[in-house]
Amino acid sequence: MSLIEVRHLCKEFKIAKRQEGLTGALRSLFHRQYTTKIAVNDISFSIGTGEMVGYIGPNGAGKSTTIKMLTGILVPSSGEIRVNGLIPYKERRRNARQIGVVFGQRTQLWWDLPTIESFELLKQIFQIPPDRYRQNMALFNEILDLDEFLQTPVRQLSLGQRMRADIAAALLHDPKILFLDEPTIGLDVVAKERMRSFIREINKNRGVTVILTTHDMSDIEKLCQRMILIDKGQVMYDGELTKIKETFGKTRILIVDFEENIDDFSLDGVEVIKQEGNRRWLKFNREVHTASQLISQISEKYEIKDISIQDPEIEVLIRNIYEHNYTLDQVFTDKTRI
Amino acid sequence: MLKSCLRGLKIYFYMVGVSIKTQLQYRYAFVMNILGWAMTYAGTAITMWVMLYSFGSIRGWTFWELLFLFALAVLSWSITMVLFFHFHNMDEYIVEGTFDRFLVRPIHPFLHVIALKFDVGAFGQLLFSIVAMIIAYVQLKLNWQFYQWLVFLGAIIGGTLIQGSMLVLISAAAFWTTRSERLFWALMWPARNLMNYPLTVFPRFIQLLVTFLLPFAFVNFLPALTLLDKTKESFDPFWGFFSLPVGIAFFAICFKIWNLGLDHYKSAGS
Repeated sequence: MSLIEVRHLCKEFKIAKRQEGLTGALRSLFHRQYTTKIAVNDISFSIGTGEMVGYIGPNGAGKSTTIKMLTGILVPSSGEIRVNGLIPYKERRRNARQIGVVFGQRTQLWWDLPTIESFELLKQIFQIPPDRYRQNMALFNEILDLDEFLQTPVRQLSLGQRMRADIAAALLHDPKILFLDEPTIGLDVVAKERMRSFIREINKNRGVTVILTTHDMSDIEKLCQRMILIDKGQVMYDGELTKIKETFGKTRILIVDFEENIDDFSLDGVEVIKQEGNRRWLKFNREVHTASQLISQISEKYEIKDISIQDPEIEVLIRNIYEHNYTLDQVFTDKTRI
Repeated sequence: MLKSCLRGLKIYFYMVGVSIKTQLQYRYAFVMNILGWAMTYAGTAITMWVMLYSFGSIRGWTFWELLFLFALAVLSWSITMVLFFHFHNMDEYIVEGTFDRFLVRPIHPFLHVIALKFDVGAFGQLLFSIVAMIIAYVQLKLNWQFYQWLVFLGAIIGGTLIQGSMLVLISAAAFWTTRSERLFWALMWPARNLMNYPLTVFPRFIQLLVTFLLPFAFVNFLPALTLLDKTKESFDPFWGFFSLPVGIAFFAICFKIWNLGLDHYKSAGS
């Protein structure tokens, strides 16, 4: 059996309707009207031990709600969840021992205390054996350089330092599963890279299963083999990241700077998708034409100043899926969209 | 069961220890806090004295008796503040998402919340109430028998539990409405002011309300009848014995409601 099993998971929220005016406010005191919002709508997936999965979707897609149900904070409306055999909302405290959670936007550390105190508190709360605690602290110190700010109060830490402390705090009790909600948000390039390599490291060396939500697609590209894409509470795609890239790699874009302005440019199998001064963006299918073929064809007819080739970015693909509300199968068949 | 209680206590004392350490870091704020509270209450006592100077007494209660009544309420309230006062911030914890963080830890969220803070600043009130209590005891030439000391102890613990339970109850509102701070000011402050006076000056329905529904009468008024040997009131001094059991029962009810709120929060989110 896999480590995390989610079957037909649903979560509905009742939202009280606000009524206008004073009389409306008074009326709503006694008789409230509700609208139902479906945050998670029949989601199923399973995740095996040691996987590193990107769980992505636009704001309000249901990412956080799913994570909250997996961590036992929220009770599902219907459907089943098993996390390492436990039902999180029924056995919240036992589940808490086997998971680590990092919410990137807010710290789980004690704001006013020197950083080390938060670790000591977690040691008490999770009852981490002293030996284990010492070993873990030594290791995290080595990779994350916690030493430099252990005596500093959390509120004085830089964002990068705080995230390092937060992720170390989440791993202190040797969880099997790590939930990371926006772990690189607001970090600079160096700090991001450092965070990613640490996540890779604990996934590889400690076998910690990682579930990651992010808006930064390079997080996904650099960390995850698998991606679960959700929108409007439903799974749009669940599979390998490379598969999407291969399929979409079929269309490429050739950017050509011509010496002079050309009004009537045309070439078989090439579509002009954008133009700006003497520059043209030409879209073509990699399986039909090669770039060098096209370049030689173009250079026979025109004077070329500069040339470059662009692969479609994963971000563009995903934006397409969201904007047009496509399922991935539709996107695959309708390739003109890119 | 016993083992998990002991473990909970251990965690509680550890967390509380850290909280005290944090507050002591800000030494100036710490001292001012204590002084501030002591002064505030001394001010109220002086006002009371000025008032009584012209009236003589209120419903047969002399100034020293009233001071005793007042000090008894402040005594248990100061302990309530030390242990429970941060419950009035529950709405903040919920709105800012801090509460979710408590739920991914392997302890009961109530333990987590209560262990968050141990408000040493409230010792200022404790200081005031003890001094005021001693003065009143001497001035009234009291000489308590053993059972009265038990009633006194019961009033302190029971009173702390009753007022703490009120804070817990108010904080539970945040689970449904994400607001509790305003409710705190709307309920707790009037209730505490009410306790400064003998209950018999208030209309009957208020007397019944604070005896049977929100049992503030057991915090100071009813035990004070026993402790001051006041037998000519409409309540029998016998009621004063019940502060502790009432406190325990009220706490149990409020804790239950808090847990119901927690269940609601878990199914509705914030």
